[in-house]
Amino acid sequence: MASIPDEIFFASITEINQKLKAKEFSTVELTKAFCDRLERIGPGYNALALSLREQAVRAAKDVDGDIKRERFRGPLQGVPFGAKDLLAYEKQPTTWGARPYAGQVFDYSATALKKLFKNGGILTGKLAMVELAGGPSYRYAAASMTGPGLNPWDRTRWSGGSSSGSGIAVAAGLVTYALGSETSGSILTPSSFCGITGLRPTYGLVSRHGAMALSWTLDKIGPMCRSAEDCGLVLHEIAGSDSEDPASAGKSFYYAPTFARDLKELRVGFATVDFDEWAEPAARPDFAKALATIRSLGVQVTEAKLPDFPYGPVIGTIVSAEGSAIFEPLIQSGKVNELADQKQIAGLKAGLEIPAKDYLKAMRIRSLIQRAFRDLLADVDVLLAPSRLAPAPKITQPLDRPASDRQLPKDRGLTALIPAANLAGLPALSLPCGFADGMPIAIQLVGRPFSENTLLSIGKAFQQQTDWHKRRPQIR
Amino acid sequence: MPKKFTRREVAVAITTSAALLAQTPSPLPQNGDEELKAVRDQLAQSAQQLAKFDLPMATEPAAHFKA
Repeated sequence: MASIPDEIFFASITEINQKLKAKEFSTVELTKAFCDRLERIGPGYNALALSLREQAVRAAKDVDGDIKRERFRGPLQGVPFGAKDLLAYEKQPTTWGARPYAGQVFDYSATALKKLFKNGGILTGKLAMVELAGGPSYRYAAASMTGPGLNPWDRTRWSGGSSSGSGIAVAAGLVTYALGSETSGSILTPSSFCGITGLRPTYGLVSRHGAMALSWTLDKIGPMCRSAEDCGLVLHEIAGSDSEDPASAGKSFYYAPTFARDLKELRVGFATVDFDEWAEPAARPDFAKALATIRSLGVQVTEAKLPDFPYGPVIGTIVSAEGSAIFEPLIQSGKVNELADQKQIAGLKAGLEIPAKDYLKAMRIRSLIQRAFRDLLADVDVLLAPSRLAPAPKITQPLDRPASDRQLPKDRGLTALIPAANLAGLPALSLPCGFADGMPIAIQLVGRPFSENTLLSIGKAFQQQTDWHKRRPQIR
Repeated sequence: MPKKFTRREVAVAITTSAALLAQTPSPLPQNGDEELKAVRDQLAQSAQQLAKFDLPMATEPAAHFKA
């Protein structure tokens, strides 16, 4: 039996697939090694919801048979991955990270998983998450039945959420890639805090069939990987029309970075105040270097400003109203009180009281936000901002309180880009760009609907100039 | 001899204290009832901000999300 070298746990999708084809090791050997690592290390970081060793080894045997017969199914064939425990996997527990759903089992698998299985993907485990994807809001990192997601770079810090296990598992080399989900920030935040590359697709590009709903009009499924290249390869397989998802855009995605526009033609909008004043002082040097690297790619960089809207109240009202409607049976039954986070329990209860006029007002303002972004993205192709303004907080820190008491600037810059771009259904790519206080930081790129190839081409060029995405935490 | 303040200095001091007080986060709720009250207050504030936003009458809710 071939031993699996340590660097394989941090190898790219393409490298692993090539080694499998070259028969340097079998898919079964690789799968067992990844399962060992996930089961050994994952629980120590509160990253693992459920090991799927038995199913994974069975699938790996099938892939080995295919490779033996030279039936190649693409770059994801034989590559181990993990999925946020919000995605249904047939006949196995799907807990949504929440105690009231600990025994929940579906008799079907999520569309995104089925697409990966069809291409030979090996699901080694369900990954931990913030309970109910954090909806409508929560106060503590410990808002999960598996405990707070511990950051692989420093266990005293949070991994970010709500795709916490996905962020940890990719950063710690427990899986090669993972699926996460985002309603407003749940892919970008753990990607930034854990130092990995995360892609939030355009609303409707990836089917949510078989995924827990938190907000029908905001939820997206996306890849969390170690590079932009890997994000492109995964999105290529999971995107596409699905009659089972009423919000499906009916579009496919073909990863073709070489056919994206010449970078010199691209206009990138950013706000100086984000990098110079809003960012935590410790993060500013590496944010400045990232901005310089983006400039060096040849893109045209220009100042941009977000349209002036009450993004917080709009997205808060929509997520609260839709989330509480979705979880009404949980709330009415009283089982909502079994959740771990008191603020989340209160938020779900109070969300049922939101008047229709407030929800509709928020959705009407959202129409104007979408229109304003169409205008803004007619002037620039891509918006650039820090993914998060600071590195991961301590796990005990209340998330709804400011981390520091420093004076903040009046100019909001692009600081509301996460809620704003989610309201407009726009894609985003988070790229690791350095460290602050020893913890990863990242930049985000936001583009027009279905412009994922443009974002990925910039991301790929950025990652050819930098090696932040290749840095590894010390795992014990 | 005690320093005499101008009316302008007093006004600045009062405004600054009020602004600082407004920035001070409220204490964390201690039980479920306090949490519920805090969330309801937050939702009421959001509703007020939404209400202040003028919309053209013809603006329809964002019902089409095919981007």
